[in-house]
Amino acid sequence: MISARQQYLIPFLLCSLCLFLAGCSSQPEQQRRPVVNQTDAAVDFTGFWELDYSQSDNIQVNLNALVRGLRQPRSQPGGVYQQAGGTMVIGGPGSTNSGASIIGLAQMADLITQSQLLEIEQDKHKIKVKREEDFALTCEFYPGQYHTIETPLGKEICGWDRHQLIFKNLLPEGLTIQHVMSLGPDGQRLNIATTVTSDRVTSPFTVNRVYVRYQPTDDGYSCKMTISRGRVCTTESK
Amino acid sequence: MYDRIEMREHSWRGAAVALLACLLALGAPALRAQGLDPGLAAVPVGNVTLRVESGTSEQDMLDVGLVIFSPGIPLDESLHSKLGIFPEIRKAEAQFMPVLLRQVLLETNAWGVVRVLPDKQVSSELLVTGKIRQSDGSRLVLEVSAWDATGRQWLDKTYTDTATERDYPATEGSDPYIDLYRQVANDLLAYRLRLDRRELQVIREVALMRYAASLSEEAFGSYLQRDPEGIYTLVRLPADGDPMMARVERIRNQEHLFVDTVDEQYVNLYEEMAPTYSLWRQYGREQALYQQDYEARAQTKERIGQRGTFSAMEQTYNTYKQIKIQEQDLDEMAQGFNNEVAPTVMEASGKVFRLSGTLESQYNEWRSILREIFVIETGLPAAS
Repeated sequence: MISARQQYLIPFLLCSLCLFLAGCSSQPEQQRRPVVNQTDAAVDFTGFWELDYSQSDNIQVNLNALVRGLRQPRSQPGGVYQQAGGTMVIGGPGSTNSGASIIGLAQMADLITQSQLLEIEQDKHKIKVKREEDFALTCEFYPGQYHTIETPLGKEICGWDRHQLIFKNLLPEGLTIQHVMSLGPDGQRLNIATTVTSDRVTSPFTVNRVYVRYQPTDDGYSCKMTISRGRVCTTESK
Repeated sequence: MYDRIEMREHSWRGAAVALLACLLALGAPALRAQGLDPGLAAVPVGNVTLRVESGTSEQDMLDVGLVIFSPGIPLDESLHSKLGIFPEIRKAEAQFMPVLLRQVLLETNAWGVVRVLPDKQVSSELLVTGKIRQSDGSRLVLEVSAWDATGRQWLDKTYTDTATERDYPATEGSDPYIDLYRQVANDLLAYRLRLDRRELQVIREVALMRYAASLSEEAFGSYLQRDPEGIYTLVRLPADGDPMMARVERIRNQEHLFVDTVDEQYVNLYEEMAPTYSLWRQYGREQALYQQDYEARAQTKERIGQRGTFSAMEQTYNTYKQIKIQEQDLDEMAQGFNNEVAPTVMEASGKVFRLSGTLESQYNEWRSILREIFVIETGLPAAS
């Protein structure tokens, strides 16, 4: 039974909760953001990069580690258990941590990190990470705030966390992809830590890909895009 | 029992209302952050027939100054991509659109000289300003204001026009949003037709005296009176054949000569930019339509595989990837537009005489030179 007092109390509590959440979602975000002004960060990723397999993570090894982690019931709310026959059994809350979901997470990480070549353009205000056979990661830098783009098909958040550049994609159906870019001390190695999270697996899956600089061959001509004439090339090299 | 149920219903209804109010409160800043503006929801002008005058007496024709439009680029750069604004294209549009409006005004046969100005010229007989609120391949929203030299406002209105597939490709000399320009021209003409010949004469006289006062407040300031609302009235006029006024008119003609040179450059820019700009808008519209359609289809598309499986996640990712690639194609096109048009814009800005800086600063420099000439010739103190 709900008393008359409770009748008014429920909307009040809901409203208070919303206002609290609104407060959490706007102002404090500014304060807790570890974003620095790009001009201060001065990490320049510009250049051509190629994947170095020898220094990068092996997906199978990371998958094994994930499964091992999920097998420890204390550390994870949902565990993976082995039946007598050796097949993987679902554990965890609801329908989480199924074998298909765990392997799917690893396959997704592999799919997302398959680009072997990167071309990065960066200036004071923005960065564009062109990835072979994938869309480019782009970010605009504004002091003290993350750059956010929202579409019906997903949300993008990006910005600096000290010397690291973070791209986060929040996609439908509980899929989240995060890329953290950092440059090695000599400026010759680029590490991209890609983390894939699914609401069907209680642990995220991270893959580190290491890229090294390379010099593209100079073809002796340079091209630029135009509207009316398409791509126009001249023999004047870059 | 029923009472209890009813009370519970009230309680949940109250909770639902509160929750809705809260969600709206939460949503409002998000809308503001996205730069969504209720002002952009103005009704499109539709099909407009340009009103063309015949036999307008020269005495009834006012000269019009069209100031380069404000590009309406938000200072907050983080809003540019959210609002789909490509700053370089906007800057070019701000020079392109007044030239088109000028052409339409000239077609009405109702106006004297129509000039495109790099900066406001308060002594214009009729001064028209504009601000681009939205401009893409599907929609154009312009804020247009007009004042005559007496300070009376003729127009302060937001115009919207939408483009359809039939509007593309734009034929030479036309524009997908030509109806918007025609509506502005019709509104200006409607206002002018409400004024009688005497009132038009007063506007012309006030324009000249305001120009004279801008050269020397001491010599000409007393001919005009300005009320608290900013409306100018003539207190008296210089005698016919006043040599000082002859000098003023000569200086004004010099200024017009400069403006005509500048105006010619805007026209050149318009002509050179028009084909590329037209393609840009057409592609932009096609891209936007494809994107909308794709998003709608993607949201209703049948899901492959169970949530959390690789096939389901791959489908989600590929859908997003596809839309990002479309978006980035549009960015590349904007770059293509800049590659093609930016050199022309730059050339237009640096061509006039040996003055330096943008057309706007060159114009101001030229005006100050003319004022100095006037001061030297007349020995009068310069206007502050």
